[in-house]
Amino acid sequence: MEYIYTLVILIALGVVLASSFNLIIGYAGLVSIAHPVFYAIGAYVSALLARDHGVPVPVAMILGALAAMAASIAVALPSLRVSGDYLLIASIGFQLGLLEAIKNVSFTGGAGGLTNIPPFLIQTAGREAYVALVVGVAVLTVLLTRSIAHGPYGRALSAMRDDELAFAALGRNAVAMKVAVFALGSGLAGLAGALYAHYFRFVTPEQFELLQSAAILTMVVVGGIRTTWGPVVGAILLQALPQAITFLDLPVALLGPLQGLLFTGLVLVFMFWRPQGLVAAGEFWRPSREAPDVGRP
Amino acid sequence: MKQTRSFTRRSALLAGTAALALVGASSAQAQEALRFGMAMPLSGGQATYGQDQVKAAEWAVAEINQKGGVNGKKLEMIVLDTRADPQAGIQAANRLISVEKVPAFVSAWSAVVKAIAPVANDNKVVQLSVGANSADIAKLGDYTYTTFPLADVDITAVARYAATQMGKKKAAVIYINNETGTVAAQIYRDVFTKAGGQVVAYEAYDPKASDWTGPLLKVRAAQPDMIHIQGLVADTPQVIAQMRQLGLTQPVSSYSAVYNPKLIEQLGKAAEGVIATSLAPGVTDSPAVAAYVERWKKEVGREPNGLPYTQYLYDAPYIVAAVYKSMDDKKLPMTGENFRKEMLAMRSFDLPLTGKLTINDDHTVNKPVYLMEVKDGKWTQKAVVN
Repeated sequence: MEYIYTLVILIALGVVLASSFNLIIGYAGLVSIAHPVFYAIGAYVSALLARDHGVPVPVAMILGALAAMAASIAVALPSLRVSGDYLLIASIGFQLGLLEAIKNVSFTGGAGGLTNIPPFLIQTAGREAYVALVVGVAVLTVLLTRSIAHGPYGRALSAMRDDELAFAALGRNAVAMKVAVFALGSGLAGLAGALYAHYFRFVTPEQFELLQSAAILTMVVVGGIRTTWGPVVGAILLQALPQAITFLDLPVALLGPLQGLLFTGLVLVFMFWRPQGLVAAGEFWRPSREAPDVGRP
Repeated sequence: MKQTRSFTRRSALLAGTAALALVGASSAQAQEALRFGMAMPLSGGQATYGQDQVKAAEWAVAEINQKGGVNGKKLEMIVLDTRADPQAGIQAANRLISVEKVPAFVSAWSAVVKAIAPVANDNKVVQLSVGANSADIAKLGDYTYTTFPLADVDITAVARYAATQMGKKKAAVIYINNETGTVAAQIYRDVFTKAGGQVVAYEAYDPKASDWTGPLLKVRAAQPDMIHIQGLVADTPQVIAQMRQLGLTQPVSSYSAVYNPKLIEQLGKAAEGVIATSLAPGVTDSPAVAAYVERWKKEVGREPNGLPYTQYLYDAPYIVAAVYKSMDDKKLPMTGENFRKEMLAMRSFDLPLTGKLTINDDHTVNKPVYLMEVKDGKWTQKAVVN
């Protein structure tokens, strides 16, 4: 049973990460792939506060999420003032730099990782309670992104994304909006990190590196960018498929390469067959379906 | 139209995959066999090592079964991929514990072993770490045991040998800035200083570096008479090559990961005089090992990557089989708790490729350390440190 619980938790955390990342890269069009570093901040801050400073775990989790939010504002403010592409550079720099720092100071456990993180709920209310908590957070995240994207704020977001000059000409503050969305998405990632840390009780800087960035990006793109359900489908697919493969009783010589090819294969397949992702954003793919007919004699 | 068709085809494929998965799971549960797990990297950057290690373990399982299995029961190994990644490792461990219901399983790679430890403790299932060498492995709780000597064993031997037998006074330590590197470099520094030497340079390099000129020049400026490199299999040969190019001709020592035919292949003449350690008897020490390496050459056409590690992995199923046999003799239920109790009661195991193993109460093991040196393009034994 614990296997299923773990899988559900990882899928739910994937949903939180992918949905919040979709808010940033999809709806707001902010180019950044440093989402895992905010996941890491949430995990480390919450784990360290609870382990070394006796802060109750739920409070530590919220502080972890707030720390991720604060860090994201600190990264976004200067870089967004200049121009969009700088956010990509600044955030990757921040991601790599912070992870490097974590590896080199002793109170984070260094490169060997942080152990003995206090558990939460598992011993008092059982694993089911924790699963319910994480799934609850995932559902709330999806509902939140949905209400943001489909409300008046979402319309303002797409206006800003599609034409920032026109948007500014209407008297709206683009930078404030970008920073707010970036902070909200990063804060949610931080919360996911805190939820991860107190269930699995071990974190290491390695797991928040660029490979994780690629995994979250793949979830969003394969699922369907700029849609509510796309990141959810993407997260489920990318977490469950590698597990499903292990049940096929394949020989070891085949299992290894197959797992390795999975991510790359999925991205390639989707690039050719369904560039809009499994769940297509309405306004986005209608023109592309018409496109092949345009140039025909 | 085209869109819908390709979508149905894909959903058919997905449904098929799911159905196959269910069939696979149910047929595996129907068999009567004594099962244990193995969580190793089969894909990703560490796969070259993980796959060879799993192959060695598979040979051992086949051999045990050929000789009648465990009291006539078949020994079965369930292999899962960890990609040497902690999160994938946790999933593999959970799968082994709650789906396959094994009382014990083998794992490796320090970060993975550490990540799995809480899972093993919670479920009271024994994790045998075979190959991870971080000193922390001994402190992970009641259900994680190592059958592989931890970093302090061979690093201590090589540091002490340099200071006392080779008479070196000034050593430089250059190490990779990750778990393996930092912990072991500290051990080297402490042991070498304690043995009367002095560490004149202590330089770290980034795990992703492809140029080491900076730290190497600092080492050169410090003028050591011995250089210890604590890197990984992939980067150490490159560090040595660059070091020689920069005119550093001092003797070089390293540890077990470097003891590998690849080093000589990659470095050629520059490999001469490099000292590494091996924690398992070599081809010249044991006819069983010689036959084992022959088998690799015959069946796979090459020597295994990281020979000593594969020797330990080959022996792991023998430990599991011995404990299972004792549990079966006493008619104990196959649980992790009983496995742990029996393993600690037996304590000593005579193993085909790595010799005698004794599991200490503090979750460590002691093994002789073989110091190997490259001479005339070949690894030759320099000394055995007990």
